Amino acid sequence: MQVYAKPKSIKENSSFTFCSGCDHGLALKLVASVIDELDIQQDTIAVASSGCSVFLYNFLEVDCIESPHGRACAVATGVKRAHKARNNDKIVFTYQGDGDFASIGLGESIHSALRGENITAICINNTNYGMTGGQLGPTTAMGQITTTSPTGRNREYHGFPIKTAEHIALCEGTAFSARVALYDIKNIYNAKNMIKKAFEYQKKGLGFSFVEILSSCPTNWKLSPSDSHKKIKEELTKVYPLKVFKDVLNG
Amino acid sequence: MSEKELLKGNIAIAASALNSGCECYFGYPITPQTEIGEYLSYEMQKRNLAYVCAESEIAAINMALGAASTGAKVMTSSSSCAVSLMQEAISYACCDELPIVIVNVMRAGPGQGYIYPSQGDYNQSTKGGGNGDYQVIVLSPSSVQECVDLTSRAFYLAQKYRNPVILLADGMLGQMAEPAIIDCNKYEEIDNSSWRLDGAKNRPAREIHSLEPSQLKLNQHILNLKKKYDLIENSEVDYEEYMTDDADIIITAFGTMGRCAKEVVNHYRMQGVKMGLFRPITLYPFPLIRLRELSYRVKTFIDIEMNLGQMLKDVQLAILSNASVAFVGKPVGDWLKKEEMIEAIDNIIKEQYAGIR
Repeated sequence: MQVYAKPKSIKENSSFTFCSGCDHGLALKLVASVIDELDIQQDTIAVASSGCSVFLYNFLEVDCIESPHGRACAVATGVKRAHKARNNDKIVFTYQGDGDFASIGLGESIHSALRGENITAICINNTNYGMTGGQLGPTTAMGQITTTSPTGRNREYHGFPIKTAEHIALCEGTAFSARVALYDIKNIYNAKNMIKKAFEYQKKGLGFSFVEILSSCPTNWKLSPSDSHKKIKEELTKVYPLKVFKDVLNG
Repeated sequence: MSEKELLKGNIAIAASALNSGCECYFGYPITPQTEIGEYLSYEMQKRNLAYVCAESEIAAINMALGAASTGAKVMTSSSSCAVSLMQEAISYACCDELPIVIVNVMRAGPGQGYIYPSQGDYNQSTKGGGNGDYQVIVLSPSSVQECVDLTSRAFYLAQKYRNPVILLADGMLGQMAEPAIIDCNKYEEIDNSSWRLDGAKNRPAREIHSLEPSQLKLNQHILNLKKKYDLIENSEVDYEEYMTDDADIIITAFGTMGRCAKEVVNHYRMQGVKMGLFRPITLYPFPLIRLRELSYRVKTFIDIEMNLGQMLKDVQLAILSNASVAFVGKPVGDWLKKEEMIEAIDNIIKEQYAGIR
């Protein structure tokens, strides 16, 4: 009999403090399940970033260092390389928002991928700066209303959003790059498999592995949790297709 | 090694870092310190140690932050305008209590300035260029031998106090060669098994972070850091005194300028003027108490720096007696020559000792 239980890599007696309906909790739970399934909890070091993603260490039972805003991939590089210098191969992953990974930290992110840094980066893309109350970010879709794009994102004022997983896939050092979503069971299941693959590729030493998770932000989108998922399914996946953009083991 | 070799300052720093057990180096090129990264790129690769040509100084210091969290001995090096880029992560490293050795081979500024040697980063180093209440230990070498010795001490103090340490050299020192010995590292190893991040095996998970939503906890953490800084101020002050025993006039100067000022002291001693030199070796902690003691029997202090008077403020703070404090300095970019110093000091003496001399 299979029992549905809380992953062991989630801290005991901890409960998520994210807004109701936010996909951060689900994403973190998937990461924790993958860590359990690969049996790497004792060998994993997580790198938290700035924004809603920072609270990682309150929930995951793995060693964790918080990074300055945007620098998570650089911090992870340091953690990974320092252990390697002592012949310890640790699993190192970053957990970042889209503002952290693709705006302020884009340089660190792209260059980690170009170096083929053997780390995994998980990027929560909720198309806005969530923690500060929903401002225009690097992934805000054209026409999307935020507190700093009150009439919607437009070309004249704001320019265009970045398609992160596609860009990371272009880097030669990238082993795996995919975009997933969490709006229904099928996609949640797929997301977990993609996250698992990213960690497995790191274990195999194949290079930089990346999963962008299209996530809901009901509070700042001013939508109910179910309408938020509907928005991802019907609108955002058209801008940000759910796809594996690079997989060195499968073409 | 342990034989005298002709060494360039930058190479001495790099070789001493290796000799002190440096396991990780992250850097980005900038004159006048690039030889440090060049030397280490070869030597560290040979030893399978961690070396990354970072994409920016911001990335370099953040790689250092991550590496330091594993308990490894970590160094980065840069120069003035690029050390400015590192200030955010230095503030984090202080709050996170992570040991990182940061070498700043100062060039002229502000802004991009140029590659001439200078001492314009005294304030940034000792007063904090980043946000919040924090202190970085700052060591100031004045010879290639001291580059060697203080690099070793920097690694030791960083580990001992779990705090970043800046080795504040300048372009003159980085680029000049003189004989020096790289001897066995005399410092003990510090056990970091209680805090390093090496995987939560048979222990609860550890977290290293500066974010602290609890006002009470944040306040307490900053007060704990203050206790550590107090301990550093009570235990790690270091300075050199040269002919201060009977001195009426004391020159205060640090780093390369401290070494140049020695020649000035010799010049005046030959003329029968009772002059001495006080050279802080630790710029933080600043040797305030010793300078204060001296001030009760010294008539005049002359602070000499290759800037517009940055350490001068600390010298003035130290002196509670009626001793006067004069300043001789130049904007960064044109090193003070012995003759210029003597001319300036002659004028100071004329003004203050009219009728005595």
